[in-house]
Amino acid sequence: MSFWELIASMLGQGLVITLLTTVLAAVLALVLGFVAGLMRLSKNKFIRFLVAIYVEVFRGTSLLVQLFWIYFVLPMFGITMTAMTAAVLAIGLNFGAYTSEVVRSGIQSVDKGQIEATIALNFTRVQRMRRIIIPQAFIIMLPNLGNQLIELFKSTSLVALITLTDLTYQANVLNATTLQTTQIFTALLVIYFVIAWPMTKGMKLLERKMTEGRM
Amino acid sequence: MSEPIVKYNNVTKYFDDLMVLDGIDFEIQPGEKVALVGPSGSGKTTFARLLMTLEEITDGTIEVAGDYLWHEKDENGDLKPASTDHLRKVRSNIGMVFQHFHLFPHMTVLENIIEAPVTVKGVDKKEAIKDGKEMLDKVGLLDKADNYPAQLSGGQKQRVAIARALVMKPKVLIFDEPTSALDPELIGEVLDVIKDIAEEGETSMLLITHEMDFAREVADRIAFFDAGKIVEDGPPSEILYHPKSPRLKEFLERFMSTQASPE
Repeated sequence: MSFWELIASMLGQGLVITLLTTVLAAVLALVLGFVAGLMRLSKNKFIRFLVAIYVEVFRGTSLLVQLFWIYFVLPMFGITMTAMTAAVLAIGLNFGAYTSEVVRSGIQSVDKGQIEATIALNFTRVQRMRRIIIPQAFIIMLPNLGNQLIELFKSTSLVALITLTDLTYQANVLNATTLQTTQIFTALLVIYFVIAWPMTKGMKLLERKMTEGRM
Repeated sequence: MSEPIVKYNNVTKYFDDLMVLDGIDFEIQPGEKVALVGPSGSGKTTFARLLMTLEEITDGTIEVAGDYLWHEKDENGDLKPASTDHLRKVRSNIGMVFQHFHLFPHMTVLENIIEAPVTVKGVDKKEAIKDGKEMLDKVGLLDKADNYPAQLSGGQKQRVAIARALVMKPKVLIFDEPTSALDPELIGEVLDVIKDIAEEGETSMLLITHEMDFAREVADRIAFFDAGKIVEDGPPSEILYHPKSPRLKEFLERFMSTQASPE
């Protein structure tokens, strides 16, 4: 294997881990964000309070510290997990907190007349949310959700610090062994950009497709 | 006389400390068309919104088709606030057309119309599509079935909204200033559709309107609201041409002077 083949192969392996972490954490964040966002709109004060604690704790501390905590501190309380699980959990919980705010404000910005129309047509609350409010709120949320997805993707580089062998971790190893610092970190930069940029474009396209002729 | 379809008993409504409706008694007979007129802020819209359950009642009761809307009887026969299920059951008799249409922007015209029958009533989708298309034909918009609301004119949107309310077969249909948000040249097509429905006769109607000619043509009765009370209530010929109270006279005079044609 030549020098450059070695670099490509190691970065390739790292990239797979990075993408896997991104996808899993994004799914977790989206689910958590919707659940927490809807709970934040509950009539029940206690439910709202619980969610507020979750959101404030995860927004108020840094993702890196959360990663350390879940991977290095939880084992002291008997909760051990792989670096991958810890990474997905920490990133998912962190971005879930932000996403819940996007979901909440998206739902609240749907025209109040839509609620009145569903009352006049005798919808239940659940039917109203599922059929009328969330589909419209989702379109409003889309640009923010897209931004968050890209932020999330880039933030996965932190998982290298809890020993997960992602793209950044592999680049670090290569740098330490080959000392080709400029080439390796430039390659790293380019790879992140080449993934993130089409993501931005893709979200724009999705947004346009979903609003075509409708709004 | 048959049982009224809607009966207000001493209905009072406050918004915080502000009294909007002051102990109103009112009845609507099955099939009757009643126009509500009066200056803005007189309580006519709130009066109708209480019936649609868009505002909560402060005091008094409303009966719809013999059932309490905001209340139900407990085991001792005393009235208690209605459960959600009870409220929905009684509310199913009422429909409403809004000033600003409130169509579902993410659905096509036909989807807007079949949504409530399918989701709320559990009507078979094929059946709902058939009924929906019939209703669209009735309001003259069958060719717009696959368009989105954003692609329609205001008058067309309001006709879709009327069709959407009608497919739920309400016993009472409320129109809350249905033409106030429309450009003048689009008002006629909407009024024509409402007149057609009125002529069919079965549905009781509550029309909040500033179109006096239209009220005269369509309504069996006109109720004049002022300061949270119904000041006068009677057939259009009485209300419009022989007003008794000074407030109604004043209201009509102001109206005629702004509405009079220049010729």
